[in-house]
Amino acid sequence: MLEKVKHNAAKVLKYLFVALTSALLLMLIQSAFAKKEYEIGAFLVLALIAILVTYFSNVSIPLKFFLPGLLFLLAFVVGPILYTVVMSTFQYQTGNYISKPEAIERVRALGVAPDEAGTTFDVVIGKYNNQIAILASDPINKKYSINTLTENIELAVNVVSLDENGVAKEAPDFSPSNTAEIAALDREISNIRFKYSGDYFISLQGTSVGAVARQVLDYDKNQDKFTNLINGNQYIDNGKGNFVNKNDSEEVLQPGWRSPIWFSHYIDLIKDKNVRSPLISVFIWTVVFASLTVLTTFALGLLIAVAMSKPIRGRRVYRSIFILPYAMPSIMSILIWGGMFNTEFGAINTLFGTNIAWFQSATFARVAVILVNLWLGFPYFYLISSGAMQAIPSELSEAAAIDGATPRQIFYKITLPLLLKIVSPLLIASFAFNFNNFNLIYLLTGGGPRNELDGQIAGATDILISYTYKIAFGSNVQDLGFASAISVIIFLIVASISLYGVKKSKVLDSFS
Amino acid sequence: MTNWLRDKLWRHVVGVTVSFFALFPLYLVIISSINPTGSLQVSSFIPREFSLINYKKLFNDPTIPYLIWMKNTLVISGTVAILSVIIGASSAFAFSRLKFKGKRFTIQLLFLLQMFPAILALSAVYVIMERVYNFAPHLGLGTQPGLLLVYLGGAMGVNIWLLKGFVDSIPIELDEAAKVDGASAMQTYWQIFIPLAAPILAVVSLLSFIGTFNEFILARLFLIDMNSRTVAVGLQGFIGGQYSQNWGAFAAGSIIASVPIVIIFLSLQKYIISGLTAGSVKG
Repeated sequence: MLEKVKHNAAKVLKYLFVALTSALLLMLIQSAFAKKEYEIGAFLVLALIAILVTYFSNVSIPLKFFLPGLLFLLAFVVGPILYTVVMSTFQYQTGNYISKPEAIERVRALGVAPDEAGTTFDVVIGKYNNQIAILASDPINKKYSINTLTENIELAVNVVSLDENGVAKEAPDFSPSNTAEIAALDREISNIRFKYSGDYFISLQGTSVGAVARQVLDYDKNQDKFTNLINGNQYIDNGKGNFVNKNDSEEVLQPGWRSPIWFSHYIDLIKDKNVRSPLISVFIWTVVFASLTVLTTFALGLLIAVAMSKPIRGRRVYRSIFILPYAMPSIMSILIWGGMFNTEFGAINTLFGTNIAWFQSATFARVAVILVNLWLGFPYFYLISSGAMQAIPSELSEAAAIDGATPRQIFYKITLPLLLKIVSPLLIASFAFNFNNFNLIYLLTGGGPRNELDGQIAGATDILISYTYKIAFGSNVQDLGFASAISVIIFLIVASISLYGVKKSKVLDSFS
Repeated sequence: MTNWLRDKLWRHVVGVTVSFFALFPLYLVIISSINPTGSLQVSSFIPREFSLINYKKLFNDPTIPYLIWMKNTLVISGTVAILSVIIGASSAFAFSRLKFKGKRFTIQLLFLLQMFPAILALSAVYVIMERVYNFAPHLGLGTQPGLLLVYLGGAMGVNIWLLKGFVDSIPIELDEAAKVDGASAMQTYWQIFIPLAAPILAVVSLLSFIGTFNEFILARLFLIDMNSRTVAVGLQGFIGGQYSQNWGAFAAGSIIASVPIVIIFLSLQKYIISGLTAGSVKG
C-alpha cells in the first residue's frame, strides 16, 4: 500500500517536473523565434521533443537517465565546438560583427550628407494627426513647419505660439510628446527621416535639433552594390564582408558584416608571415612551457616521494605541508605569487636582496611562470609518485638487494622504469593540461612582456590559449573568426596528445 | 651516526627545503593580512604588529562588496555541485549498468569531448550566449544563470569518469538480484544505487564545488557587473595592477576565501588521492 502511494507520488512529481521544464522551454522557443534566433530555437524544439518522448514513453530507459546530461553537453560543449569550426571560416571581427542585412541598413543610415547650406532647425517632437511628426522652427528666418514622414507643412508665424527665443512650441493639430514618450522611441529616433523637400529630409540630432540631409549612398538590391549619388562612386561586395570602392579597394564602407571566407584564416596562418611568425613563436613557447612544467613538477614530486619513502621523523608533518599548495585554490595562489614578484615591493626581491623587474624581461618572466607552476604542480606528482611506488611489489627490490644491487642501482634500474610506466599517462595528461593552462599565464603575467618582434598581440609568456583569448577578446580589435581558427588547431594538437595518452592507459577498454 | 647521516639527513634536507618553498607564499599572505599598513612591501618577515584592519576593510568598504562576492560564489558553486552530481550520477549509472545500443561509441565520444578544454570554444560560447541574451535576457551573457548553464555542459563528461571507478566496485549481483525480484531500472537506481553511492556522490559534488570555485575565465567573461561577480573575479579585478595599494585587503580576502576550500580538500584527501592514483596503478 505504502509502496503504491510512494510510487504514485513519484509519478506525479515526475510529470510536474517535466511539465514545468516543457513550459519553460516553450516560452524560450517562442521568444527565440520571435527574435529570429532560428538555430537556437530549432535546438530547443528538438530538446523539447526529446524530453517529451523520453519521459512519456518507454522508448529507451537508459535515455531517461542521461538525457539531461546529454542535452547540456550538446548545448554547451558540442554546439560551441561545431560553432567554433563554423566561425573559423568567417570574417568575424570588430567591424564585421553583424549580419549582412543589418550592415546594409547601417551603411544606408550612415550614408547621408547635410545639405550644402547646413540648415538646422529647432524642433519639438510630437504627433500630427496621430502620426509621428516634428514642429520645426527657424527663428532667424521666421520659418515654421510641421514635418511628418510624408509631408512638409509650412506654417505661418501667426498660427504658432513661440517662446522667448522665437522657437515654436505649439501649433494647431500638433500635440507635443512628453519625455516618457520620447524616451520610448529611444535609439530609433535618429533613424527617422522627416520629409523636407525633394531628396532632402530632416533627421534628428538629439531631441531638440534637426538637420537637413539627404541620402548619399544608395543601395541597389538587384546588383548588391552601393552608389554614391553625388560623385557616382560604386561600392561592391569584396567577398570578405565589406563594400569597397570599385576603383579603389582601400576605400571601405563601414560597418562590414560577418562573411564566409572559407579557409582564408587557415591559409593566412600558413602564408602570411605577419600572422605565422608570432603564432610559431607562441607555439614553441607553449611546448617548452608545458614540457618544462611537467619535467620540473614530476622531478620535484618524485624527489620528495623518494625522500619520504622511508619512515623518518616528522613524515606526517612534511606530508601535510607538501599538500598545502595543492589544496589552496589555484587562482588565489597565482594572484599571491603575482604580488610576490612585484619589482619594487615584492617579497621575492626583498628576500634575495635583488632588484629584478620580473615581468619586464622575457627571460625572467618565463622563469617566474615556470617557478610558480612548479609550486602549484609538485604536490600532485608527489602524491602520484608515492602512490605508484607503493604499488610496485617490494619483492623486486628485495630480490635485487639480495643479488647485491646498491640502493642507487635499485632505484635507477627497477623503481624508476616501473614508476615511469605507471605514471606516463598522467605525465601526458599533465602536459595536455598545461598546454592550455590559461589561468596561470593570464593571471600572473597577462602573457607579457610584449616585444615588438612578436607582432601586435603576442607576449613572451603567451601560450596558444592566452594568445587566442587576446585575439578574440582583446582591447583593440576582437577577431573571433581568426581566434576560432587557432582554437581548432589547438584542439587537434591536444586531442592527438590525449588520444595517445588514452591508448597508453587503456582506460577506454574498461568500459564495455 | 654516519649511517643516520647517509640515510636520513638528506631526506630531512629535502623535506625542510621543500617545506620552506611550499609555505613561503602562504606565510607571506598571512603576515600581509595582519599588517596594519596593508602594503605589499615587506619590511620584516617577522610580524611586529598585529591588526585586523584589513579584514575589517573587506566588510566595511563599500567599494569592495566582498560579502556579495562570497555569496555569489557559494550560490554558483553550490548549485553547480548539486546539479552536476545529479546529472553525473544518473549518467554514470546508465553507462555502467544498463545495456543499450551504441554505448561503446557514445562513451568514446564522451571521452573525446571531455578532453576538449571548454576555454577553446570560448568565442563560440560567447557568441551563442550573446544570442540567447537577445531573446532571454535572464539566461544569456552577463547573467549568473547563463554561467550556470554553461558550467553544466561539462557535468556529464567529467563526472562519469570520476564516478566510474566507484560504480564498477558495486557488485553487479545486487542489480541482478533486484531485477529478479522485479525491480525496474528506476527502482534499482533509487533504492540500490543511490544509497550505496551516497558517500562518493558527496565527494564528487565537493570536488565539483572546488572546480567551480577555481573557474576564472568564463566567470570573468560573464560576470561584468560588480555585484554579480564571484570571489575569484572580484579579487582579481580588485588588485588588478594595483598590487601595492590593495595588497593587505586582498591578502585577507584570499585567506577567507581559501580556508574553506583547503579544509574541504584536506578532509577529502583520502578520496582525492585514491582517485588520482587509481587510474595509474591499474595501468
